[in-house]
Formats: sequence, structure tokens, C-alpha cells
Amino acid sequence: MPRILYGVENVLYPNIMEVSHSVRERTIAENSLIILLQGIHGLVTTIDLKNESVIKGRIINVDAFMNIRLTEVVYTDPRGKETKLDDFFVTGRNVRYVHIPDEVNIMKTIETQLQKIHRVRNFGGESRGRKEYLNKKK
Amino acid sequence: QQQAANTVEEPLDLIRLSLDERIYVKMRNDRELRGRLHAYDQHLNMILSDVEETVTTIEIDEETYEEIYKSTKRNIPMLFVRGDGVVLVAPPLRVG
Repeated sequence: MPRILYGVENVLYPNIMEVSHSVRERTIAENSLIILLQGIHGLVTTIDLKNESVIKGRIINVDAFMNIRLTEVVYTDPRGKETKLDDFFVTGRNVRYVHIPDEVNIMKTIETQLQKIHRVRNFGGESRGRKEYLNKKK
Repeated sequence: QQQAANTVEEPLDLIRLSLDERIYVKMRNDRELRGRLHAYDQHLNMILSDVEETVTTIEIDEETYEEIYKSTKRNIPMLFVRGDGVVLVAPPLRVG
């Protein structure tokens, strides 16, 4: 996949969504549907907020709490007025819907994201490195 | 102890029976969704396809003070729904 860079605040974001550095967030993401939203970064998506406003833009990052960072945004306020914005952050609690783009293969996206998490978890080999889940002692 | 994937033990398992079927979802703020359920999680975050969203509003006639129910519909091909807006999940309502 070609690396596409998005310009936000003069910082270029690569077109790969890194797995969260937090063990807690990885576990939450792995055990809920948020994992799908984490896989559709980079595509133009529409997000309906609870206050009846609409965001259309490219997702840069979604965390385990559905907080979303976007770029190249057209923000439509509840009254219908449109504003163009380069950088947008919305708190998870304010999200009502995320329109999934047609070209997304849902199962494949979820599986790819899960593989990324498992790769990070198993990094360092089985005998070295900090283990996220210790084996239960009998 | 692991529950077998085909036994119905808790309320969320009833939703599991509706996977890949069309369902009716009642949401907060007088909204309803009808669509095919592809996935759900413990928060009731859901992924629905071929969704029809109905928003119902009540207008009061200024002279007669009667309530006029108006509904707006729109269609969305694939939708991720945040679970905290969901009130009720059921098979599609049959008319008559």
C-alpha cells in the first residue's frame, strides 16, 4: 500500500494507524467494535454527532473511547452552515453514527487490526519482554 | 466455564440470534433504524447495512393546538451505531 501523507499543522501523518501504546486501550479495542473504526483511518467518512451536526473528513486516529481525530474536514453545524477545517477532534460521547465507506471490507479490516494488536503483544518473544497476560498459576 | 455459542443464556444472546437478519432498533431522540445486523458488542455498538433511519418530530398547530407527527426518512448503506443511543432491539415490526 502506498504511503500517503496528510498535512495537519505542518506535521505529516502516515497512512498507517498505529496500535495504541496503552495496554488498557488495546484490550478495550480488541473486545469491542471500536476495532473496526480504528481500521478505517484515511478514508473519507461522515460522522453524525448527537447534537445534529455532521462531520465529513478523513479519520486520522480513533482511540478506545471513540474519540476521533480527523483532517480535511467539512463541518456542518446543526443549522446547516458548512465550515472547512484542517484539524478536528470529537469526543467519543458526542458520536451518534459513523457512516462506513462502501469500499470497506468489514471482516478483513477487523482481522487486520486484531493481527496488529497480536503482533505488538507478542513482540519480544515468548520468553523475553513484558507479558500483558501472565499465565495463571495453578 | 464457557457457554456454548448456540445457547441463549443472557439478554445479549438474544441479539446474537438476530445476526445477519433485518432488525428494528429504537434509539434516543425519537429515532428508529431498520437494517441488517452485521455485528454488535457488549455496549450495543452495532454495524447495520441497508439502513433506513426514521426521525419523528411533533409539531403543534398554533391555532388548533393539535399534535402533528412528522417523520423524516433517509437511507444509509453501511452504518456504525454508537451503543449509548440504543434503547431497544427487536425483529422488524410486522404490520397487521
